[in-house]
Parts: sequence; C-alpha cells; structure tokens
Amino acid sequence: MMKSLVRIVRLYLFQAWYSYRSLFAWSTPFSYMTSKFGYPLFSMMMFVFIGKFVGFTDPSYIVLGNILLMPITNGLYGISMTIGNERQFGALSYLLGSPAPRAPLFLGRALFHILDGFLTVCIALPIAMLFFDIQFKGVNLFLLVGCLILITIASTGLGLIMGTISLRSQDGWMFTNTLGQLLFLLIGVNFPIQQLPAFLQPVSTFLPMSRGIQAARMVVNGAGWSNVAGLLGGEVLVGLAYILIGYTLFRIVERASMSTGSLDSF
Amino acid sequence: MASFFRLAFRQMDVQLRMRVLSLWSLGLYFIQPAIFSAVSMFLSQAAGNAVPDLIYTVLGGGIMGMWSGLVFTSTYDIRADRREGTLELIVGSPTPLRTVVGFRSLLNVLAGATSMLAAVLVAVLIFNYSFSSIYLPGVIFSFLLLLFALWCMGVFLANLLAWSRLSGTFVDLLELPVALLCGFMYPISVLPDWMQSISVIFPIRWGLEAMRDCLKGSVIGAELTMKWLIALGISFVFLLLARWLDGKVHDHIRITGELRSV
Repeated sequence: MMKSLVRIVRLYLFQAWYSYRSLFAWSTPFSYMTSKFGYPLFSMMMFVFIGKFVGFTDPSYIVLGNILLMPITNGLYGISMTIGNERQFGALSYLLGSPAPRAPLFLGRALFHILDGFLTVCIALPIAMLFFDIQFKGVNLFLLVGCLILITIASTGLGLIMGTISLRSQDGWMFTNTLGQLLFLLIGVNFPIQQLPAFLQPVSTFLPMSRGIQAARMVVNGAGWSNVAGLLGGEVLVGLAYILIGYTLFRIVERASMSTGSLDSF
Repeated sequence: MASFFRLAFRQMDVQLRMRVLSLWSLGLYFIQPAIFSAVSMFLSQAAGNAVPDLIYTVLGGGIMGMWSGLVFTSTYDIRADRREGTLELIVGSPTPLRTVVGFRSLLNVLAGATSMLAAVLVAVLIFNYSFSSIYLPGVIFSFLLLLFALWCMGVFLANLLAWSRLSGTFVDLLELPVALLCGFMYPISVLPDWMQSISVIFPIRWGLEAMRDCLKGSVIGAELTMKWLIALGISFVFLLLARWLDGKVHDHIRITGELRSV
C-alpha cells in the first residue's frame, strides 16, 4: 500500500517536472517570461487607458483584476499547451501506451504551473500596488495569499479541459485563446460582474476564478474570513468541478483513442 | 504585365487558402476585437456613460482586428516557410522575396479589412451609427492610407523575420504595444507624453488620427494634410527598411546557402 502510494507520488512529481521543463523545448526562457508578463501587462495597460478615456479616474479596479487574472497564463495556456503538445511532438502514443496510472500522469501537468502562476501573481501584485497606490493597510495577508493560491489552482481546470480538446482538435489553441480573452469580459476582471447583461451573469458564476477574484478584491479592501468564506467555498467547488471534468474528458478521449487508434491522426 | 498579375494571383490564392482562411485568423479578425470592444463598452457603461463612443469602441476594434491579423499572418508566413523548408526556395527563386512577401502582406491587409467592415456593420446595424456628419472623401482616403501603412509594416515585419529568427520573439510582443501606442481604442491624448512621443514613429497612428478627424467631420486643412503626409512618409521609410533587409537576406543566402539557422 505504502509502496504503491510512494510510486504514485513519485510519478506525479516526475511528470510535473518533466512536463514543465518540456515547455522549453519550444520556448526560450525569454519568450516564456515575455508571454507571462508581456501580454498581461500590455493588455492591462490597454484597459487602463480605455478606462481613463471613458471616465474612470481610479484605475485600481482594472489593475487589480488584471493582476489577479495573471495565473491564467499558466493555468489555462501553459497546461493546455503542455497536454496538447504531447500530440504535436509525437509523444502521445508512448504516453498512452505506458502502464502508468492516468491520474498522476494527467494531473501532474498542473503542479509546476500552479507554483509558477502563484509566484507570478505574488511578484506582480506588490509592484502594481506600489505603482498604482493600492493600499496594503488593513489587508489580511494570509487570507490574501489563500485567495491567490485558490485562484491559481482553480484556473488549472480550464487548462486541463482545453488541453484535452487540443488533443482532439487542430484548432484547440484558437479555442483556448478565445476562452482566455473571454475571461477579460466574464469574470469581473475589468468591471463588476453586475455590469454584464442579465443573460451573461449566470455564465460568470459557472466559471472558475470569478468568485476568487471577487474575494481577493474584498480582502484587499479590508474584508475578513467571515466576509469571503462563502465565495471561497464556491470557488473551491467550481475549481474542483472543472478539474474533474478535465480529467473525465481526458479519460473519455483516451478510451475513444484506444478503440479507434485515431488520437494522433487528425 | 501578364506574368506580374499571374504571380500576384498565385501568391494571393495560396495565401488565402493556407493562412487566411483558418479559425485562427477568424479569431484574430473578429473574436479578439469584439471582446476588446465589448470590454470597452461595459467600461463606458460602468463609468456612467449612456452611449459608448462608437468611433473608438467599435471602429477601434475593427482597426485592432486589422493590425492583429496582419502582425501574426505576415510573420507566421515566414516562420512556416522556415519550418517547412521553403524559405530558401523562395529566396532562391527569380522572384525577389520582397515581391512574394508584398503580395502575401497585401492579401493579409485586405483580409484584415473585413474586420473593419464587420465593425462598421455592427456600428450601423446595432448602434445606429450615422454617417451624416462625416467627411466621406477624407475617410476613404485616410482608410486607404491606413491600409498602405499596414501593408508597409507587414512587409517590414516579414523581412525582419526572414533576416533574423530571434526577431520573432519581439514581433510576438508587438501586437498589443502598437495597439496601445497608436491609440486604437482611445485618443492618443489619453497616453502620457513619453508614450505619445514613441507613437510618432508608427504610420498607423497618423492614418488613424486622420481617419478619426474625418469621421468627426474635419475637412481638408493644414492639420489633416500634415497627418496624411506624415503617414505616407513614415510608411515609405518602413518600405525602404524592408528593402534593405531583403538585400541582407539575399546576401546571407548567397554566402551560406541556407536561412534556417538565422
């Protein structure tokens, strides 16, 4: 029992490390850093200037929202690429042919992206708070860190789902990219969810990160555990549901590929 | 002359089939600009404005689609040629690289114009945008100038990629900074002074400003003419730079016989 558990943990960690390292088979550290900080930074500036033009004098809402969205670079794009590239680089058949248990194989792809995404937001948030004069005073730092960890983990569910879709569709990256950009609109990054039309607001409640971002904003404004517990609980449930859906989808796609032998053929 | 048109038709036909007609391009031309426009509108609403400024929010999204489509298709063309091993064949063919890249970029720019068309349709059909106060000849001329400016930048970027693989990393980053600096979705005056100073080197900025002036009803005057001339002048500078890079690419392949390692 113990031996088997150690084997699974070891496999999980090895998969996590190798899948993260394999990113640099096609990406240089420079381009990785620019994609992590470049696009989020420039899109944030774009929204800040749009906000300034339409009449927002205080950009802190937009800045904070875009910083809190930063883990999506790892959670959605990074994980989706890590999974999708198995097919592109011809490693998928070997992976599926191996006797290794699927859960650590699949979920292991998220671990370093979670750490990386968390680190990114931990670096970016204090810098943004300093630049845009967002106050730390009265902030429960432990609670804020908890919110950031939760947001980062919850974002991986989308990556696991989109990664699996990338295994089946040649246009997987386009769908991932579109979803990533829709998040600017749907989860309260640039404006409160209440500003969305009534038919879009329920969509937001079913998306990961929306409650986490809302909770993190409240914590930055001085809220305590009792104020955000409900939101964080909801975020845990939505995040878990997405991770579970991603894993289930992967198993369905894997089974289908076993019967047709077609996963690598489109 | 017949061979020129045959070359143009073939290049644009292949480009259309291989690169432009894809879901990825459609995302760049329509989905991304629509999302940025929507965010802009909701922000405007959240700021208490009853009606969004259509010139910046909707038509700005159209410009965004044109630029994003161009910057990615033009540079991915060269990357794909390098990856597929056809770059040397193109450079080695009797037709100069700049001609091939020129026709490809032309199609990319024309395909991107559909993004603007879609934005105009949305502005008219959904938001009842009125053309009554615009200076139509000025708008048309400014738009053609904008297309020319985009084409020159597309040709320049494609040649830059052929000359140096490393430049691809920087080109990837260009999409949003140029949109940011040229004020696609807001007036340039919103930007800090130092950013306004940087944006003067982009012909798109001047073409866009001229087009917006005409959309607001400005008729030909010294200021408008100056913007047209600056846009035209800087576009030619980009074209000259592209020609210089093209020469360097041809020199390189004559010396080393390959371009993949660049």
